[in-house]
Amino acid sequence: MGTATKLTAVEVVNAFFDAYRAHDVEGMVELCSDNADFHYMPVELWTRQRVIRGDGKVRTIGKPLWTTLIDSFPDLTNHITYLTSDAEGNVATEVMISGTQARAFGTIGNMGMHYDLPHVFLFKVGEDDLIEEITAYWDTADWYRQLGRLEVD
Amino acid sequence: MTAAREVGNLFFERIKARDLVGALALVNPETKVNLVPLGIEGSETGVLANYFERLQTAFPDLRLKVRRIFAGSDGMVVAEISIEGTQAEDFYGIVNQEKLMDLDQVWLMHVDGEKIDQIRAYWCQNRLYRRLGVKRLDHVTITA
Repeated sequence: MGTATKLTAVEVVNAFFDAYRAHDVEGMVELCSDNADFHYMPVELWTRQRVIRGDGKVRTIGKPLWTTLIDSFPDLTNHITYLTSDAEGNVATEVMISGTQARAFGTIGNMGMHYDLPHVFLFKVGEDDLIEEITAYWDTADWYRQLGRLEVD
Repeated sequence: MTAAREVGNLFFERIKARDLVGALALVNPETKVNLVPLGIEGSETGVLANYFERLQTAFPDLRLKVRRIFAGSDGMVVAEISIEGTQAEDFYGIVNQEKLMDLDQVWLMHVDGEKIDQIRAYWCQNRLYRRLGVKRLDHVTITA
């Protein structure tokens, strides 16, 4: 694991994942600035009228998404496998996120399957020790396979 | 960690210029490579060369943009890039339907001195399948 040059940024990110592990969504949001940006890069839901992306603000997109995810995967947890940071408040983490499905999540029907999915989370932490931006990457194909969904939508 | 960031930038500049030999000259011959969505791991530059050769062959008009790059205090370069191109050949089992793809990726590349000695890359393979007309994950080579 890398060492931090700006300890507060790393502490904030660790606190974020601690809160996520405790299913404390309010705590996750409180670690973010009021206007924090949110980019879940793989999220792309195609409907007849439009494409819904995981792109917006933590408070309007991130919070409901985390709440719904925890509701669908009640044992949702995370494990940081690597972390690095710079002196400008940039933090990158590789995180294994795991959970067992108990309810449908969006278009993913519940088959009661378990998943372990590698993620990369990138954070920008401001000088006030609040997260200003969250960006995440993962492979939805891997996730779908583990949950028993084989259609590409 | 400016030097590490410069190595990362130069790597992608050379890929963008289709200078694969020049890009690989920045990589330690025994670098550990993990292209996570493809399940491809190895400890030689040949793994990396094979990926980029197949990418450039399958998408001859490939465009690459570095959207954000920084280097951690441990020498890990973190680069968010976007690639875009029109398929002209099969790509890792995905049959060519001449469709346009755009894909966001994040590359973690550790720089030790002047050479990259670890690479881990992440992206959403489901998005790539969707763009290229794949319908089912258990039949990637079947498009309809």
